[in-house]
Amino acid sequence: MPLWDRIRRSQVWKSIFRHPPPVDRPNRVKVVLTNLILHLHPVAMPKHGLRLRFTWCMGGITFFLFLVEVVTGVLLMFYYRPTIQWAYHDMLALRDVVSYGILREVHRWGAHAMVITAMLHMLRVFLTGSYKPPREFNWVIGVLLLALTLLLSFTGYLLPWDQLSMWAVTVGSNMVGAAPLVGHEGPASWVTDQSDLRYVLLGARSVGEEALLRFYVLHCVALPLLAAFLMALHFWRIRKDGGISGPL
Amino acid sequence: MFRIPDYVVSQRTRRAVLSRIARWMAGLGFAMLGLVAGLWSAASARFMVPNVATEPTRRFKAGTPGRYPPGHVEQRYKEEHGVWIVHEKYRGRWQLFALSTACTHLGCITLWQESDRRFKCPCHGSGFYPNGVNFEGPAPRPLPRYAIRLADDGHIEVDRSRTFHQERGQWDDPASYIPG
Amino acid sequence: MTPDIAEHLTRVAPLLAAFHAACSAMNVAAGGYAWRGRRRGEALAWLGAAIVFLGLAVGAWAGRPPQLPAMAKAGIDAVLGPATLFLGSLALLTVLYLGRRFFTAPPVGLAALNASLLLFGLSLADPVFASLVAKPDHVPIVGMIYLLGFVTWIAAYQAVENDRRTAAGRGPVEKTYAEKVLVWPDLVYIELIAMVLVSALLIAWSLLLAAPLEQPAHPSVTPNPSKAPWYFLGLQELLLYADAWYVGFVVPCLILFGLIALPYLDVNPKGNGYYTIDAQRRKYLVFMFGFLMLWVLPILVGTFLRGPNWSFFGLYEPRDPQKMAMHVNVTLSEYFWEWGLGRPRPEVDPHAGAWLRMGQAMWREMPGLAVLAAYFVALPLLLRRTLFKTARLAMGRCRYWIAMGLLLLMLTLPLKMLLRWTLHLSYIVSMPEFLLNF
Repeated sequence: MPLWDRIRRSQVWKSIFRHPPPVDRPNRVKVVLTNLILHLHPVAMPKHGLRLRFTWCMGGITFFLFLVEVVTGVLLMFYYRPTIQWAYHDMLALRDVVSYGILREVHRWGAHAMVITAMLHMLRVFLTGSYKPPREFNWVIGVLLLALTLLLSFTGYLLPWDQLSMWAVTVGSNMVGAAPLVGHEGPASWVTDQSDLRYVLLGARSVGEEALLRFYVLHCVALPLLAAFLMALHFWRIRKDGGISGPL
Repeated sequence: MFRIPDYVVSQRTRRAVLSRIARWMAGLGFAMLGLVAGLWSAASARFMVPNVATEPTRRFKAGTPGRYPPGHVEQRYKEEHGVWIVHEKYRGRWQLFALSTACTHLGCITLWQESDRRFKCPCHGSGFYPNGVNFEGPAPRPLPRYAIRLADDGHIEVDRSRTFHQERGQWDDPASYIPG
Repeated sequence: MTPDIAEHLTRVAPLLAAFHAACSAMNVAAGGYAWRGRRRGEALAWLGAAIVFLGLAVGAWAGRPPQLPAMAKAGIDAVLGPATLFLGSLALLTVLYLGRRFFTAPPVGLAALNASLLLFGLSLADPVFASLVAKPDHVPIVGMIYLLGFVTWIAAYQAVENDRRTAAGRGPVEKTYAEKVLVWPDLVYIELIAMVLVSALLIAWSLLLAAPLEQPAHPSVTPNPSKAPWYFLGLQELLLYADAWYVGFVVPCLILFGLIALPYLDVNPKGNGYYTIDAQRRKYLVFMFGFLMLWVLPILVGTFLRGPNWSFFGLYEPRDPQKMAMHVNVTLSEYFWEWGLGRPRPEVDPHAGAWLRMGQAMWREMPGLAVLAAYFVALPLLLRRTLFKTARLAMGRCRYWIAMGLLLLMLTLPLKMLLRWTLHLSYIVSMPEFLLNF
């Protein structure tokens, strides 16, 4: 018996997958039903959903890029300290000192790509009218996920603590400071520069150590958790709303 | 003949009264839950607003007025304190005052261009006259002044904790300039 | 030829040779495909294009990369400007939309792709252009332009096909693929291949381009120019035309709200689950105008064409830090009182009470407030009885007013741009006393 078959008939393999290999119809159904990750999918789907010219594969790629960002991000966290003293230094170390020092590149370019694919996914869903009933609420979740993608990218932008990041975030946070009502420089403002939304965001009046820590926590913990929750909801709703959209 | 409607009768039964009490209790419970959740959210939001900010001292000495001849724009306090000290005419009178270096548009640090005699913002190209009044680009307001005074030792003292805004008519305040 | 241009040419020559050769190969493939489909004339055209690209590749390989004539570059730069770019793009998109049946024909699409690749390749020989598109943070945006162009085209292609079928009384193409297939293996393998390709692309990209790292952060030195992350550069570009409270905060909130509200405002049951334009023309136009003209185009301008001091630069124009556009702008109330009535603007007494000051400022800004009232109240009331009569009936009152509000707010941006370019109008309502400029 070939080695591959012996592995697939071993007790260990069977205990993990619990059914014969998916080479015939019953087992191809089973493999989707019994596997946690594959279970995101339905068992069967209309054929037009397979055509790349219909889906552009953008939603799936966006999710994959999120996973790439999680993995590379966790690895980067092993070397990065979010303090003014060390942040920039650790960036240099990540480039010059560690082995296989392209993780920061993968993380950054993956983030750029994810913003693009999320936007294009939204464009596709709009152009095919897939937001229409019964999928209205899933579109809402998708819009929130797009906003979260931008926020994740923006909070990560500060972490290298170089001129590019510091001033991009200064400009961005001052826009928040100009918000009506809740910004101290906005119309109808009823707050000061020590109680407005920008102060809450930065933890200070200007971009400094407090802001670096806040953005770090938002980038590495708060926003990814929220995004993961909304993604779970998004995928679950695709199934519950009747699978991939198609002509009625 | 007058008949008592059914629903009135049913309301009078023991079960109806009990279920009504139960509904009220449930309503009260959810209201309490909402109140606690609201308080908790408000407390968390307040938690995110720091009470103490670690910032450098907001008051500094800037030498004697003799160091600033008319028309002079002093750049040496830009780096550490974010302040231009300017000796310039405002409404026809010479004044010595301290301007913030941060553009009123989005807070980028302006640059002093001696050749054109203007402050220029690198972010969106806003321009300010030496007296701080905006004249080009998207900046909506003049640069704010900081409090300035002659201390008892004859040195200029700038206090960055007080600002004076031209558009609110605060540049007439004698604390915002030293007559030059 | 100056020495640094010569040096640049020798450096990009191998890259350009590969680029032109790839374009040539693409055309050979297209020609072969057309030949097998018995479209002989088309096949010959692609073969011709392949030969042209091959010639360019050989030229580049020989160390003499062909480039655009200086006249053409100067001409392009002279024409480029914020206003011409906006209006030109609008005109181009209008033509593409009206002629979509012609432009979605695959040969036309491929010809357009060839033209853009030719222009791109020739431009790469220019050191300024090359430094613009090869900057690590700009590379994904170049990729986005092509990706966006392609997906918009292929969506329009399918929409036109579906609309043609619908007009002939048949259902959309998607309906002919309604049969059910099993997810394993069909979909799972597509996903697997996509994951492998994306990973490979990401790793190659990361090996080739280092993530940028500039000088350590310095709180008192602002780099010139200072740019937001690219996806917010569109907003930063629009900041030229409106205040931070509006563009920086209200507009993003409105975009978010508008997108969320979209499925609840749309009462048209047609066009659900397949590509179509005819079944949703008005919505398609509004969405694409907002996305392409107010989101993507400002991003491109902010990324590629804004330089030091946020001055506008052409594609081939060296970034001169001294270049500065003087633009003195005038508010509507200045136009009204000083230019129209020939008298000074009413003053606001800075020492008066808050309500009195507010009243004085509102009196001064009366013309602008009247314009805004007409725009936001009278215009929707008028449109309700004329242009949007049927839409208003279909949508109901609540949906109509929300949709009109969002539409009018969206249109404030291009209108403010036009007013700036034509009248140098800075604000319609300007009350700096209350931090309120619009």
